[in-house]
Amino acid sequence: MLGGAGSLLEGCGSAHPGTAGPLMSNGIPLPRPNNPVTWQVFKDNPAIKSGLAPERGATLRIFNWVAYLNPQVMKDFGKKFNCKVELTTFQNMDVAMAKLRSGQLNFDIFFPTIDVMGQLVEGKMIQPLNHSYIPNITQAWPDFQNPFYDRKWHYTVPYTIYTTGISWRKDHVPEDPYKMANPWAMPWQAKYKGRVAILDDARESISLGLMKNGIFNLNTTNAAQINAAGQSLQNLAHLTNMHIDNNDYTEIPSGQIWIHHAWSGDIAAAPAYMPKGVPVDVVGYWFPTDGKGPVGNDLITILRTAPNPVLAHHFMNYLLDLPNVLTNISFNGYMQPLTEITPQRLVKEQLLPPSLMSTAVLPSYFRRGVMELQIPVTANAIWEQAWLQAKSA
Amino acid sequence: MALAAPGIIWLAVLFLVPFYTILAIAGGYVNPVFGYPVAVWNPLHWSSVNLSSAMRDVVGSSAFVGPIIVRTLAYVAAASLLSLLIAYPAAYFVARFAGRRKGLFLVLLIAPFWISYMMRMLAWIGLLQTDGYVNKALMSLHLISQPVNWLGGLGPTVVLGLVYGYIPYLILVLYAGLDRIDPALIEAGRDLGLGRMRTFVRVTLPLSRQPIMAGLLVTVLPMLGDYFTNQLLSGTTGTTMLGNVIDSQLTTPGLQGEGAVFSMLFLLALIVPMIYYVVATNRSSRDAA
Repeated sequence: MLGGAGSLLEGCGSAHPGTAGPLMSNGIPLPRPNNPVTWQVFKDNPAIKSGLAPERGATLRIFNWVAYLNPQVMKDFGKKFNCKVELTTFQNMDVAMAKLRSGQLNFDIFFPTIDVMGQLVEGKMIQPLNHSYIPNITQAWPDFQNPFYDRKWHYTVPYTIYTTGISWRKDHVPEDPYKMANPWAMPWQAKYKGRVAILDDARESISLGLMKNGIFNLNTTNAAQINAAGQSLQNLAHLTNMHIDNNDYTEIPSGQIWIHHAWSGDIAAAPAYMPKGVPVDVVGYWFPTDGKGPVGNDLITILRTAPNPVLAHHFMNYLLDLPNVLTNISFNGYMQPLTEITPQRLVKEQLLPPSLMSTAVLPSYFRRGVMELQIPVTANAIWEQAWLQAKSA
Repeated sequence: MALAAPGIIWLAVLFLVPFYTILAIAGGYVNPVFGYPVAVWNPLHWSSVNLSSAMRDVVGSSAFVGPIIVRTLAYVAAASLLSLLIAYPAAYFVARFAGRRKGLFLVLLIAPFWISYMMRMLAWIGLLQTDGYVNKALMSLHLISQPVNWLGGLGPTVVLGLVYGYIPYLILVLYAGLDRIDPALIEAGRDLGLGRMRTFVRVTLPLSRQPIMAGLLVTVLPMLGDYFTNQLLSGTTGTTMLGNVIDSQLTTPGLQGEGAVFSMLFLLALIVPMIYYVVATNRSSRDAA
């Protein structure tokens, strides 16, 4: 996955000279597994020096998704490093980026998705890392010690990993997606009208339409394919009047929804949301057994304007340490790519019920799976327009 | 002039500046790297790209907004009518018959405002669940044989949500108007031989016209732009309202300019009933004088 073109790029020692892969209109590269990118480190945005003491009496400010970081982990870190840890949350990446662009916020740590890497680096919104503070990177899967979206991990360390699949209530839906010819088409069933939901995310849901139509290039810029996927979602709306939300982790356990396009980590957290008396094994999660489905990972970065960059480095390192990672998974359900974290270990630690082993993510998924990555703004507008029409069908 | 200054400054800062900003975004362009809207402040340099995109959605071959506009108008009309049927008798009772308990009833009318709109809607989500109290109550009364999936994308749920959310505003405005009707006029009607019903129809109702119009104005306008009630109580494609479309556009990189155009078009459409209200109020003030 990470071979070939990447080494050529590294040889250039800059972000994008000679990049043969896809580019934004101004020449910023679009990282792809077959077109890895080594981002430039700018002279006016250097990494901090080695051997600095953590800031004293500081408040480390974190900017993260809602319910995505265990408060206990923050508390323990504050105790260990004698500082306060303050969390501010956002609902989606667009809102987060808009807030960060305003330049008015003084957060230290930010948890972005891969598709905004170019904006963050070229916009000099994040700072390069000093690796001497982050020895725990060796605990991560090898793929994530030199990922295609940030070769040499100049700016990021990995946070959670996840797949996108289909969750269903086995007590209401007799069909088993593992036995269906095209499981991506599972939601398209009129008999479940009012009980079907898809994720409120343009890229994820148009991708569902694409995969239902047999297309697995989830970064396509082909308008006909995108519009056909949008049309499939409009058909789904007419068939099932589907819900559009990201409450898969509550609606499947409560039984309000029976078939939900879902994120693996959300469904792994289902046991915490089951009503009394309902066993967790009524919840199913399907992801292609050959791993050919949407996979993704989120990142941890340090903002360029971070008031406490040393503490921020220590926090990154702390979030790559096995005991803290286990504590974190017990809260949000999302796996982190540490070699010591295996599906069997999660079951043994009672962090995952055996019936939901399918929510676990394996290293092989990142070699066979498909990723939703940054696409040019003009192509993105086609995706968004198709999504808007599907939402309004 | 000096006395008007605070008002003029208020209008300029809190209305004209945001209004012009939306115009500048509607006439602006999208940053090609970051995808955020770039406002163009000089009207001579405004682009029509966003306007033509919005027009394509309304009347073009790939138009999809038409049925949503019709649905929005239908939901708001139904919710307004239902609100009026509930609010008018309540306000009439407090204004005319509450006597010394008027204060108590007023407090009860204002009580829903003490809880945020979102909290009130969230409470309904609990009540309307398949195994919630609404279904349990209806089943124990044998009005339904099996639970209704109220949150499964039903238009009536959204309409009732709108009614519940906005009715306190309507009751308050109606009460303020009805309380000002001179009881002597109603007594005069009775003295001239009209029965209770005819007094109401010939005297009270015509005098209620202004409060009804004012009340509907303060509820219909926010209902038309509402997206939150629908999102919480339905969240399905089958009940999408115009507010949801604009909300989606404004939160989507690359589509904010189009959302700004829709906001402006919406505003222009809402100005029409507003002007009618102002003209009608002026006319009735002149007639009264």
